[in-house]
Amino acid sequence: MKEFQVNGVTLKCYPLTAAQRIHNYSVMHCPYHQLLNIGTGLYIQLDVDFNLLKESIYECYERFESMRLRFLEDTDGTVYQYLVPFEERDIEFRDFSHWKEEDAHDEMRRWTAVPFKRFHSPMSQIVMIKLPNDYNGIYMKVNHLTMDSSSIITFFRDVLEIYCSKCYDYPAPKPMHSYIKALEKDLAYEAGSAAQKKDAEFWMNEITKSEPMYTDFNGMGRLLTQRRENNNPDQRSAKVTSISPEASISVYQLEKEPSERLIKFCEENRVPVVCLLLMGLRTVLSKFNNDEKDVSIKSCVARRGTLLEKRSGGTRIHFFPIRTILEPECTFLEGIRAIQEEQNRLFRHANYDPIAHTYQRVRHWKLNSGESYESISLTYQPMTMRQDSEDIPNIPYKSMWYTNGVAAQPLYLTVMHRVEDNGLNFNFEYRKDAVTNYEMEYLYYYLCRVLFRGIENSSRTIGEILEMI
Amino acid sequence: MLEQLKPIICEYVEAEPENITLDSKFIEDLHFNSYDFMSFLGEVEEMFEVTVDEQDILNLQTVGDAIAYLENLKK
Repeated sequence: MKEFQVNGVTLKCYPLTAAQRIHNYSVMHCPYHQLLNIGTGLYIQLDVDFNLLKESIYECYERFESMRLRFLEDTDGTVYQYLVPFEERDIEFRDFSHWKEEDAHDEMRRWTAVPFKRFHSPMSQIVMIKLPNDYNGIYMKVNHLTMDSSSIITFFRDVLEIYCSKCYDYPAPKPMHSYIKALEKDLAYEAGSAAQKKDAEFWMNEITKSEPMYTDFNGMGRLLTQRRENNNPDQRSAKVTSISPEASISVYQLEKEPSERLIKFCEENRVPVVCLLLMGLRTVLSKFNNDEKDVSIKSCVARRGTLLEKRSGGTRIHFFPIRTILEPECTFLEGIRAIQEEQNRLFRHANYDPIAHTYQRVRHWKLNSGESYESISLTYQPMTMRQDSEDIPNIPYKSMWYTNGVAAQPLYLTVMHRVEDNGLNFNFEYRKDAVTNYEMEYLYYYLCRVLFRGIENSSRTIGEILEMI
Repeated sequence: MLEQLKPIICEYVEAEPENITLDSKFIEDLHFNSYDFMSFLGEVEEMFEVTVDEQDILNLQTVGDAIAYLENLKK
């Protein structure tokens, strides 16, 4: 912690956490500062009292410390964060009710691509929206340094709960926890704690075990090209970075009934949904890469265990590779359980700095700049923005995630539940130079085939599934 | 040990201490998810100065299972 004078006032300023440094690192190496923007919208088919909604939003700004974060840069270039006591930015209102709905969403996509000023500036923008067909709600743009998808969903739910408490005597939500308290806990871990040393040792052991194998969502082409270019037929890594970060999002909606079948399978077999998805994805990667047995995927760890972590906002996501080496004789369910065990092992060391992990891996395996072993990152988001109450049952909802137009990673799959019917949406955010919309559709098609072949008979072996699809 | 574990459990999930019993299941009754549970085990390891074997984790389904396991480790 360090004190700085901001507008004549002495303020406590805190260094960035490891989770924030990942984002800061990306933005420092990318000329497009909108890279960290997350645009979202939540709309309900109900008459909304916009004055009351505005009051509710300001109240949520008060409750959510991380929505009031600002950043500054020290003379040596180190970035610090501090809190302002209240949000001074106006909550605007836009009436799109006479627009075509798709045009309204396009306009909000354009807003999402406008970067925030980096220092001494609000890191969020909220606009109250009227859409066609009597849908009303809010658009929100936040900087990823201050919020992640869990925080955003918690914020939206909080706005709705507060609005309902004002409108319908719905009970007011519990107070939020302190972001600063959670931040101090993270910084204490990073300041040479025994837990950090234990985690560093764990990750070093993981890295040095054996070299992983790169598997691409587009097949062997990328790896073979790298091998040829480097004149190294045994090369196991491939370059995944690009000078062209232009990106898009393709969303595939899995219908309600098949989504329920996947969830039911997980409940009956007591396995997490994310492990089923990882098993599906790793099997597809295996299929696309000559039935490769050694597959790694970057998996998102939300790092929200305690109630303090769950209800203090902020950005907490760390990414670590989940690597599995599965023989063709391994059954689908055994594969999921192997992933579950691996995930549980990694969870115990997930507070470790992912950038440090990446550097250590690059150094150990002597990787060239931009090379990696993972082509895909996966997040499963179990929370939804839906907030039901007895007073306002069965209201039609719509939620949107707007692209900011650029991406650091070639392919980032987020699987989340739809607010409308709790079915699963597969959101593929992809760099346009790495993959086409058609190739994305192909990947989704194979992913679904593997998942449903797997759950209809989970004692099928990987070898059998690879042959069937 | 149950009384020592209750406040830790309540740091992770919305549960009333008086409703936590030896038969409470971490996932079904207390609504722990995998990350909550691993993070909880880390805290328990520090508190009781023990090391939980990763192979045993999937067998710890109830609070009673966890207590029996920890008591065995402490012997």
